[in-house]
Amino acid sequence: MKRLVIGLCVLMPLAASAQTPAREQLARGQTLWDQRLSKSAIAALEAATRDAETAAAAHEALGRLYTYKGWLQDNVIPGWHDEPSVRAKALAELKAAVAVDPNRASAQEALRAAEGYAAAEAVDPAPTRPEIRALDAKLQSYATQRDAPVAEVLDALDARAKAQADPSPFFTAAQILIDRGEYDRALSIAERAAQVSDRFIDENLSAYMLPGKSAGSYARGRSQAADLTGWALFFKQDYARATAKLEEAERLSQGADFANQFHLGELARTQKAPQQAREHYLNALSLQGGPAPLRQRATEALKALQADAAGGFDAWLDAELTRRREDRRASALKSLIDRPLPKLALTTVDGKPYDASGLRGKVLLLNFFASW
Amino acid sequence: MPHLKASFAKYQNDPKVLFVLVSIDEDMKRLNRYLNEMKFPFPVVRLSSDDAQSVMGIDNTPSTFYIGSDGIVRYMVVGGESHGDSPQRVSWYIDQLKSGK
Repeated sequence: MKRLVIGLCVLMPLAASAQTPAREQLARGQTLWDQRLSKSAIAALEAATRDAETAAAAHEALGRLYTYKGWLQDNVIPGWHDEPSVRAKALAELKAAVAVDPNRASAQEALRAAEGYAAAEAVDPAPTRPEIRALDAKLQSYATQRDAPVAEVLDALDARAKAQADPSPFFTAAQILIDRGEYDRALSIAERAAQVSDRFIDENLSAYMLPGKSAGSYARGRSQAADLTGWALFFKQDYARATAKLEEAERLSQGADFANQFHLGELARTQKAPQQAREHYLNALSLQGGPAPLRQRATEALKALQADAAGGFDAWLDAELTRRREDRRASALKSLIDRPLPKLALTTVDGKPYDASGLRGKVLLLNFFASW
Repeated sequence: MPHLKASFAKYQNDPKVLFVLVSIDEDMKRLNRYLNEMKFPFPVVRLSSDDAQSVMGIDNTPSTFYIGSDGIVRYMVVGGESHGDSPQRVSWYIDQLKSGK
């Protein structure tokens, strides 16, 4: 019955004129949210929070809406996902509702539910053991202690590697040694890193659940090792091998690793290939991650390559990065990588059905082409 | 496309590796002329260009997929590769998949 009245208010603005504008907004927001028209619902409810008379109800409604979006909407409509970014808003709105009206039982109840979701979210399923964290910190401290003897760095690596067999300390140590100019030592550690990474995954294969996930982890470990190897070779001015290794890392990381793209950019710049350098720097900056000083260096290198950008460098950079991120998002959505090859209605060239059962169980190169 | 023929030489006697070309041509005359000219040493089949777009998400040719023996798509190269197509590149992908990793 209540819903019917709200519906009429929306359909017949004249009948709603008896209500205050704030009540109207509240009712409108609730109806819009019932219809899952989020943007308009949020706008109406936010308007209703500004009137003392409807503030508590409007904050509660917004809190419930954000609770739903943050934790509950996964696949309710095909293609929808939970939006972790609105979880804080859910809690804030519900707290605001209780602050405005401490006796509002429905808001308290909604707040308790949201806090429950948030608490479940905050549980770290696999906290790193404190001794590992301490050994990691010890090793990492040599990144800034440039005058400590190399033997100490290697001892710190050994101690950490003995405590837990994952490859990350090898990557850290190889980078530290490159920064100190110890390229040959860095190369041998990067090589060990690749072996350690493979072994660690082999030992824990069942933890990855799906073949696609373990394959992704093998590729990440090998990619990082190949990248560090290439980077050390770059400083040794062995450009041919550096190119081969950095490009191998690029294929393994599908071009989506900040450090690797930055390294390829530096290599191309040194090789006087400004076009390629520009592409790699732009790829790097369009990716997440990478320490701030390196991002700064990539930006400055680009500025030097693109000093005469029409409309100014900042606007040009912004447009380029946005375009790259959108392209990547679009291709990730439709990417088949790590998924089974779909069934295809193949025919022979003269139009008869093609029996694809012969393709099963083999390593397959499938090349789609057109003769036009 | 010649680089695929060159790459295939290494695997032609390997029962665990298959190369398949999928044409999305609409013009059969033109396709047949092309095939006669190229004489590919591996199977060539056809898929409608609509299916290629909707099922495989292909929006550019050539698009190459490398699929493991478990039937999982592992690598996808759309258009020419950024560092140039070469038999070595193709072998790298195949050998990576043959190693099972």
